[in-house]
Amino acid sequence: MDTVLLQLDAFLSRPFQGDDSGLWYVLMAFSVALPCSLLGCFLLLRRMALVGDAISHSVLPGIVIAYLIVKDLSSPWLLFGAGATGMLVTVLIEMIHSKTRVKQDAAIGISFTTLFALGILLVSLFTRNDHIDADCIISGELTHIIYYEALELFGKEVPMPLITSTIVAIGAIGAIIVFYRLLMLSSFDAGLTASFGINPKVVHYLLMAVLSLVVVTSFRAVGAILVIALLIIPAASAYLCTHRLKTMLLLSGIHSAISSLAAMYIYVNFECSIASAMVVAGLLLFIVAWLFGPVDGLVWKWKRRYFRSESYDYGEVDH
Amino acid sequence: MIPALETHDLTVTYHKRPVLYGVDLAIPEGNLVGIIGPNGAGKSTFIKSVMGVIPTVGGWVKVFGKPLKENITRVGYVPQRGSVDWDFPVTVMDVALQGTYGKLGMFRRVGKKERMLAEEALDKVGMLPYAKRQIGNLSGGQQQRVFLARAIAQDSDLYFMDEPFVGVDAATESAIISLLQDMRENGKTVVVVHHDLQTAPEYFDMLMLLNMRLLAFGKTEDVFTKELLQKTYGGGLTILSEIATAAAKENVKASHD
Amino acid sequence: MIIDTLALTLIHKALLASALLGLMCGVLGTFVVVRRISLVGDAISHAVLPGVVLGFVISSQLGDPRNPWIIFGSATIVGLISMIVVRQIIATTRLKADAALGIVLSGFFGIGLFMKRSMLDLMDSAGGLDSFLFGNMATISETDLQAVVIVGVVLTTLVLLLMRPFILVSFDSLFAETLGYPVKLLNLVFYTLLTITIVVSLQAVGVVLVSAMLIIPAATAYLLTDRKIHMMLLSMFFGAGAGVSGSFISASVSSANIANGAAMTLVAASFFFITCLLAPRHGIVAKWLKSKRQRHKVTTENALKAIYKLVEPTGDPRSAITINDYQTERRLETAEAKLQLKALKQQQHIEYLDKQQLTLTPDGLKVAQTVVRNHRLWELYLTSQANYQADHVHDDAELIEHLLDEETVRQLEAELNFPTTDPHGMPIPRPEAS
Repeated sequence: MDTVLLQLDAFLSRPFQGDDSGLWYVLMAFSVALPCSLLGCFLLLRRMALVGDAISHSVLPGIVIAYLIVKDLSSPWLLFGAGATGMLVTVLIEMIHSKTRVKQDAAIGISFTTLFALGILLVSLFTRNDHIDADCIISGELTHIIYYEALELFGKEVPMPLITSTIVAIGAIGAIIVFYRLLMLSSFDAGLTASFGINPKVVHYLLMAVLSLVVVTSFRAVGAILVIALLIIPAASAYLCTHRLKTMLLLSGIHSAISSLAAMYIYVNFECSIASAMVVAGLLLFIVAWLFGPVDGLVWKWKRRYFRSESYDYGEVDH
Repeated sequence: MIPALETHDLTVTYHKRPVLYGVDLAIPEGNLVGIIGPNGAGKSTFIKSVMGVIPTVGGWVKVFGKPLKENITRVGYVPQRGSVDWDFPVTVMDVALQGTYGKLGMFRRVGKKERMLAEEALDKVGMLPYAKRQIGNLSGGQQQRVFLARAIAQDSDLYFMDEPFVGVDAATESAIISLLQDMRENGKTVVVVHHDLQTAPEYFDMLMLLNMRLLAFGKTEDVFTKELLQKTYGGGLTILSEIATAAAKENVKASHD
Repeated sequence: MIIDTLALTLIHKALLASALLGLMCGVLGTFVVVRRISLVGDAISHAVLPGVVLGFVISSQLGDPRNPWIIFGSATIVGLISMIVVRQIIATTRLKADAALGIVLSGFFGIGLFMKRSMLDLMDSAGGLDSFLFGNMATISETDLQAVVIVGVVLTTLVLLLMRPFILVSFDSLFAETLGYPVKLLNLVFYTLLTITIVVSLQAVGVVLVSAMLIIPAATAYLLTDRKIHMMLLSMFFGAGAGVSGSFISASVSSANIANGAAMTLVAASFFFITCLLAPRHGIVAKWLKSKRQRHKVTTENALKAIYKLVEPTGDPRSAITINDYQTERRLETAEAKLQLKALKQQQHIEYLDKQQLTLTPDGLKVAQTVVRNHRLWELYLTSQANYQADHVHDDAELIEHLLDEETVRQLEAELNFPTTDPHGMPIPRPEAS
């Protein structure tokens, strides 16, 4: 028995042995996953999941251009550059959609691939020997955060990227709390919102601005492609479990916490990137929600169908 | 007396096609008004543009003698039931409370007073027992009652309702109409988009016959005539719609105002 | 001059491959854009990654590392599975299409990345895997190229053969069903061909930018034509054009490692944005020119109308007025009035009798009468036929008078029984008579 416990203890503490880096990885993962999961709820309800994907690809040229100017990967200017191109893509989509006869889906596809290609071009032209490389774009470089400058806080050397992402996370969560009613109302009934004299477009661009900022900080941790997983998978899992928006937000946040932590164990045991580990963990939770979610769980549906067909049979007999 | 709603030369285009063309109208206070006309005649567009939900390209709107913006809390809006996602994770109570947000604003907390208003409104439409239900688990008629409760909780003087009788059972329909009549008795003005010609003369005090332009507006007995209905439903004004389309394409109506 | 034969064949290889995949993406992309499933293409291109990894593992285990057929095959199967999962999510939950696509896109891709790292030992040459992520022409081998050529030819032929049912199913699948077309089977075939196209293109363009090659050439073609066959041909042309010039740029700028996919995408995107500007009917420039011409027409007509109104009371439409009269009538500054009259003079709508006096020319009179007639006819139409109030129609007629063509005017006259006066009692002129 003791050996089992010991083994379990060894397994559980494995990611956190040695220095603090394991702790920083988890916190970094969580600090990007949490705001993503909360914003993802609103994206999901507004049916804009793929706009999130478009933004996460489009921040690349912004990051690269800002980097080429300031030559410092930890500079806050990268946030601004990326935020700017993130907003640019939403404007571009709207413009192509309204000025030409190209439909919304194709407008999204055209806009983000063009900006992403521009980013790749800039990377391959100018930054070949720098830190922005292919792997970083595909799956981030979360483990690199410990090579950055650190700030002494509570007696520990906290890496700068973690501090930045925590600040952005707090800001984003604060914005969601402050504008909760506006976000909820405009997502549910844009018509009623407009009849209150509030332009739903303003809410839309506000959400896109916050999203762009959050996506930029996630870029460092998980790259361009997997951000959509952090946005949508927790929100979708939570959606399958509840009928209340506030509960959905809470569950989505919990999902992000569990998958950030679980990712560490997958990471140390399978030597994959933390980003893909987060997605795999999140996907497993989604499958659990899909099967057993209190609202949409497949298992309950099968059960109900089974019982219903049974009673239906009885009904036939009675008839 | 100042009319509850006044529009002048209200013109709206959608995808460069005219939907409403030069609508002039003044609705006196305390009436139950039906908007009737064929499909695609711009009935919903009329109330949406009056409410500022969709932009107009010409004309103006006044509510109780002032521009809409200054009197926005005196106006309530009930969109079409199909216009929202009924899978949205909110309860019946949440939706009723949304009615109070207009006066409460987007940041002040919901207090006792708002809860009371919402509960009363739900009670009036008979939905209080369902307050904790998710809106997706309701029948069409119940969903419409919830929307109506939200409107009542808004506590406005002028209401616009978009097809409230679509997809509801007969019991809900008569419950809704008696509620609307109650509201009229309390001095409210209610403007309803309606598509059933059979019930229109029985339900409404006044009628608006609309088909891109306003063909007639007045007391039901004066307006609900064979000749006017034929004009409304008979099409016929192809030149007007062609030219108005051309005008929208050239943007002249927009550059005018 | 020494020609590096090796490099030359490399470039030829790359050009051939990119031309082919440009054609394939152009053909399939037409349907993707018309069916509004652009983002489905994006989801498939990400979701095939586990299949690509699996293909590398299987072919390594079979002792034939990087066999393109095995890799294409397993990737296609995984791509189709991903589409089944999307359908199942939509069918069994309240989640909508966008969320289902997002989950499958990122979920499958994450699994693929996870497998890529954790199955590293099972692969002989994992290096080639990266080219599926970013696209790298240089890694395309002879056997790869053979496979691309065979797939490209077979696939394009198949689509051309199945063109009519495909078009019908894309536009109106219900109608196709009533005609007895096997819609489900056709859709399965379509998605299989789409997945194969994506898989084959991955190695050259990379995961993210495959959807660019699918969407952008087809969307560009869509701006230029309404006919599906023309759209498909144009889309193939733009696709192949972007493919060839993209890989040519990327190969010839050897100093920098311009990713092939990025170069192709940017070429395709520049086709698109140039077309947005210059397309003959839907282009921004064309629209701008048209509205400029219209504004010019309105200015001229308003000026002539003002002169006509000045001379109308005299009974002789060719009687003279002064610059001053005109200036007062239109409430203009002297300079402005002179400028407008100068423009009219240049168009030979008016002529000067002396320094101050001027009259309408026969041409000018005709234009003026036409405008005034249009104005008064329209006012009459609105009041008598469309139930508008007489005091409310002038503003509208001010705008519409410039838009009525002769055919509409004849219709109006017929409908109004060839009237002679407008609602305000003013005569409706007849320009033909003058």
